[in-house]
Amino acid sequence: MKKIAVRIISSAKIYAPVKIDNLDEKRIVPKMMIRRRLTRNSKIMLYLADKCGFSGGKIVYASAFGELQATVSITDSIISDLPISPTSFQNSVYNSAPSYFSLLNGDKDEIITISSGRNSSRDALKTATLQALVSGERVLCVATECLDIDRINEVNSCTKYLESGVAIVLEIVQNSENSYELENLKDDGVIDSLQDLISVVNMCELGKNTILVEL
Amino acid sequence: MNAYINSSELLCCAGDKDALMKAIYEKRTGVSIDTSYMSDTPVALGMMEYNDFYQLGIELVKKILDDSNLDDFHNTLLIVGSSVGGMRESEKSYFKKKNYKNIDPNKHAISVISDSLMEEFGFLDSRSISTACTSSANALLLAKRLINVEAYKNILVFGADALCYTTVCGFNALGVLSSKICRPFDKDRDGMNVAEAIAGVLVQNVKCKDSVELKGVGASSDAFHITNPDPEAKGAMKSMLDSMKDAGILAEQIDYINAHGTGTLANDNVESLAVQTLLPKTFISSTKAITGHTLGAAGALEAIISCEVIKRGLVPPQSSLQDAQNGEINLSKTSVKKDINYVISNSFAFGGNNTSLIFGVVK
Repeated sequence: MKKIAVRIISSAKIYAPVKIDNLDEKRIVPKMMIRRRLTRNSKIMLYLADKCGFSGGKIVYASAFGELQATVSITDSIISDLPISPTSFQNSVYNSAPSYFSLLNGDKDEIITISSGRNSSRDALKTATLQALVSGERVLCVATECLDIDRINEVNSCTKYLESGVAIVLEIVQNSENSYELENLKDDGVIDSLQDLISVVNMCELGKNTILVEL
Repeated sequence: MNAYINSSELLCCAGDKDALMKAIYEKRTGVSIDTSYMSDTPVALGMMEYNDFYQLGIELVKKILDDSNLDDFHNTLLIVGSSVGGMRESEKSYFKKKNYKNIDPNKHAISVISDSLMEEFGFLDSRSISTACTSSANALLLAKRLINVEAYKNILVFGADALCYTTVCGFNALGVLSSKICRPFDKDRDGMNVAEAIAGVLVQNVKCKDSVELKGVGASSDAFHITNPDPEAKGAMKSMLDSMKDAGILAEQIDYINAHGTGTLANDNVESLAVQTLLPKTFISSTKAITGHTLGAAGALEAIISCEVIKRGLVPPQSSLQDAQNGEINLSKTSVKKDINYVISNSFAFGGNNTSLIFGVVK
């Protein structure tokens, strides 16, 4: 299997048991009308991109469950025979978060959204590496999950944190010497779909910034 | 390494690959009027008959394997493109029980499709893409790049979306559904037909006697609006131009455009403008008046149509067209026999996500 060495330029992670308190929304999205339309995944992604110092370029975004709040709003409207909010529907697609980033930053580059269940952030890392390899550019790789919906306890047995996100900016390095194999450095209780990128962020915190990624 | 499409099959409201191509050339739609989703609002939908959507996928993939040069898929990467994944089953459970207790999160997710195919065929690995209506087009984009960099030899791209209340009622809330068969590019068009489909495409690094090459891929973002396309068509043009650059060909070399062509006012205006600017003389048609808009499956489904158009040397007519709104693009109401070397297929999605794919004869 082909392995490519990538350098992690910047990284960030955040999670909270229910709702992440401060996503610095007013500074990152000054226009209130746009801010009000953003999904929670979008706000977390914008926060993490800002933390990583990324303002444009290719994006690979991942989420196993996508925009649950918007989806629940639609199904609840249907079951109650009420009109569906057009905003809920347009926000319900899995690529809403990176699309809002693109809109707010005037980023006209490629966006790929991965949704591979528990392997979502692993596959996002592989895809971001491919995108960096074919373009020679830096790529934002980001994964978020927002499960904070009413009655989530009826189905949630997989995480202690209902809102979570992790991001890295990576680039290809030509020399794979001093590169590290991916290590299993998960954060306890975080949803599986984010754990592979969490491990990368934790490796960076230990000074292991150059890693080998299997395409 | 070059990427070749060596085997494919599909199922949509107009039937399988052969039935669909016959329907396209005969301008016979598979779309029908439905009141089961919204009893007081008839809408035209592209529906299939099945009991188990996932079993349908397994049977389709078996056909592709039988038709291929492979004994199994153990050395093949699976890339699935879908916009809703297991939403249909989640809805059924939620509407019946009015709670989430019987919903299996893993069967709600997009990855439920790849999970079922992995279990049946033991693929080398899998990943799932969900960029709304460009999902399986982006799966093909990644497949080409993975073959090009010699990461994989065989990749099965599988596009799949089942109809569900969320998509039918959601598009209705946006006011873009037609109660009639859609009329892409017509001046009197009044909306799209949501549809369901499955489509599988085997992409390999070797060619066989029936290969079509996946020659170029391009993608872009509008950065304009979350649902409406950029009226100046800059994003659409960028994805098309990037795909031509990747293919190493000029616009004049393209013989046919398989348009995204949903039949909505906004999409067709913008796509027409892009085509009028870049490829005004090239034959163009949308096959969505026959298949409906199959959402995340559309990219793979229309990739198969594009390959068949090359093999048959027959430009598909624009079905449902009476008077074109834009007289500066080359729509034909009848099939046109000609040598077809290159076809470009467009897919555009919510979020301003644009993908263009170029297919070419193997030389």
